[in-house]
Amino acid sequence: MTAVTARPTASRRRFNGAGKPWVPYLFVAPFVLLFLVFLVSPIIVAVWNSLFSQQSSGLGFGGTTTAFVGLDNFARALSDQDFLVSFGRVALYGLVQVPVMMFIAATLALLFDSALVRGRRFFQFAAFLPYAVPGVIAALLWGFLYQPSVSPLIQALSSIGVDANLLAPGTVLWSIANVSIWSYTGINMIIMFAALQAIPREIYEAARIDGASDLRIAVGIKLPMIAPAVLLTTLSSIIGTLQLFNEPQVLKNVTANISSDYTPNMAIYAASTLGKDPNLASAMAVILGVATLIVSVIVLRLNNRTTKRASDGL
Amino acid sequence: MRLTTRTARVAAMALAGAFAVTGLAACSTSDDGGSAAADGEPVEIDFWGWVPGLEDLVAQWNDENPDIQVSFHRMTGDDGQKVEAAVDAGAGPDLVQLSTHNLPDYVIAGRVQDITEYVADDESNYTASSWASVSFDGQIYGVPQGIGPAATMYRTDILDEYGIEMPTTWDEYVDAARELHEANPDVYIANMSPSEIGQWSQEIQQAESSWYGIDGDSWTVGVNDAGSQLVAERWQTLLDEGLVTTEQVWTPEYWALVNNGTIATVTYAAWFPSLLAENAADTSGQWAIAPMPKNAGSDNSGDSGGAAVVVLAGAENPGAAAEFASWLNGSDDTQEALITVGGLFPSTVNGLASEALLTESEFYGGQVINEVFIESAEQTPATWVDGPNYGTAQTAITDEFAKVVNGDLTFLEALDNAQAITVADLEDRGLNVSE
Repeated sequence: MTAVTARPTASRRRFNGAGKPWVPYLFVAPFVLLFLVFLVSPIIVAVWNSLFSQQSSGLGFGGTTTAFVGLDNFARALSDQDFLVSFGRVALYGLVQVPVMMFIAATLALLFDSALVRGRRFFQFAAFLPYAVPGVIAALLWGFLYQPSVSPLIQALSSIGVDANLLAPGTVLWSIANVSIWSYTGINMIIMFAALQAIPREIYEAARIDGASDLRIAVGIKLPMIAPAVLLTTLSSIIGTLQLFNEPQVLKNVTANISSDYTPNMAIYAASTLGKDPNLASAMAVILGVATLIVSVIVLRLNNRTTKRASDGL
Repeated sequence: MRLTTRTARVAAMALAGAFAVTGLAACSTSDDGGSAAADGEPVEIDFWGWVPGLEDLVAQWNDENPDIQVSFHRMTGDDGQKVEAAVDAGAGPDLVQLSTHNLPDYVIAGRVQDITEYVADDESNYTASSWASVSFDGQIYGVPQGIGPAATMYRTDILDEYGIEMPTTWDEYVDAARELHEANPDVYIANMSPSEIGQWSQEIQQAESSWYGIDGDSWTVGVNDAGSQLVAERWQTLLDEGLVTTEQVWTPEYWALVNNGTIATVTYAAWFPSLLAENAADTSGQWAIAPMPKNAGSDNSGDSGGAAVVVLAGAENPGAAAEFASWLNGSDDTQEALITVGGLFPSTVNGLASEALLTESEFYGGQVINEVFIESAEQTPATWVDGPNYGTAQTAITDEFAKVVNGDLTFLEALDNAQAITVADLEDRGLNVSE
């Protein structure tokens, strides 16, 4: 009992930082350590590996040697037509999927923030629930709904005369997008909703006195004020798009129209596991990492320019 | 690859209800690899495999051999893909079951041990083609464990209904496909799965072709050789005339088509009949098995590859490990269990002679189905050679075939593309390739 009451004073003394400039570093040390071990060092290893290649000679039964090949692996990756096409594919996917998802998420967030919705908690929970379903399971679930002979969805469409093929070469990309939208709209909605809740209500009252309609308030006041949250969710969605893997990799099992290098991440996986070339895969991973960095910087710049004032709060 | 993905699929089907998930299955490795035989201490061997019932055989061995104690880990999901990383990190098991298609890569990368001195005497008990699949450059790198001779499972009720005889040649097969589809547009003779490479390679073997070959000090690559072109033209005809479905095998959609009588025949390896019986239980008694259709002027049958048990690089007691592998796969003690419980089609002389192989199957109308597979095994030419980087060849073919099924390429063009990809990959690794 005495020990418990004594602790606060003791700790207050111990963590008094005056004259101990190393104390803050002590606090960030666990983060820095994990950051170095699990983020920085794998990147260094990947870059290092990408500069080498396993080489055999003749029939290869003499064993392999590791040779320094400079940027050869990068040249191989960048001259691989299918790998480049996979970037174009996720770019097209992102251009459609991210705006659609953001639109739905923002609309839902604004609806839940307004006084229009009854049973708000329930509907919010329902919209968020798919996010709790692991990505692989979500893709499995939708995989069933995409297969004509086992899908009630397609059978229902067929009974009203619509012949839908959701796994055809031209449509399968959007079937994947549908899974992602289903999975991630909820979390984006929650982040935007939280931002909306933080806006002082007096602003709306002032707007209403000035004669603004609910729609006008939503578009003219609420959206600009949650711009930082929209930026955050958009950025993470774009990064998620470039990293697209789970959904297509699972749906690949039900359709031949998803190739082994359908997305950059799948191409990296195929190169390392099926092609057994970890060095090439490392080079491809570095390329993907750089591409992600470039896209993120561009998005941040664009946003800074257009919503300069709002972003300052981020 | 084929056998491992099959187990992965079976496991995933059990988990997810129907189709495979890459990377779903988790596993735990048992503690460190074999320890040296200290005085009086038993040698400890770690063994990873996927055949049903191996636990009991391992227990039997451990009872009879106190000096060599084996611990068994059942492989599920993507365990097969972990093996290489585990070996490279020095944390692999001593023994692992492996698709023979992948063995050349293991040999080239130095991940398996040469066990010639321990198992050379076993040769006479194994079929020629299975023994060839574990031998490279005169050295033995594993003990065969099962092969996959092909035959055709067909719906007797459907063929009877339209008065069609089960075809014995591929020419008759194409004619039967036309007749069947004309009689009932909802019935197709077969499914051409662009991703199920074993169904392709068994016909390549039947045509005495091989994706790989050895010419002196160089590899040859024959993904688009004459035999492959023969098979390509056959399936191109069936595809162009709309006589086959093109679903992926193992999907709920595929099994739905099998169950509702859309697909009339399935030509596949000796391990397929039990999976068919499991996944289409309601059609019991409506199936029979016949030899796979033949090419004109040839009695050849085909095989989609088998498995082997290999001693990995990190094993400290290769002799003890090889001794166990040799007992497990070749001894009289184990054949019956491997056939009945394991569902293996034996690669051994004593296994092929086992009475356990000749049981009647209710699902197949009381037929002794293995008689067909035994004949198929005897008619399979030993011309197939596995080569390096089988995974790349397989992925290339799968991806290109998807474009064929979509109508973007012909099979012949797809084979040319896959050939180019495979050759380029071997050359990138510094291997000699002669064209």
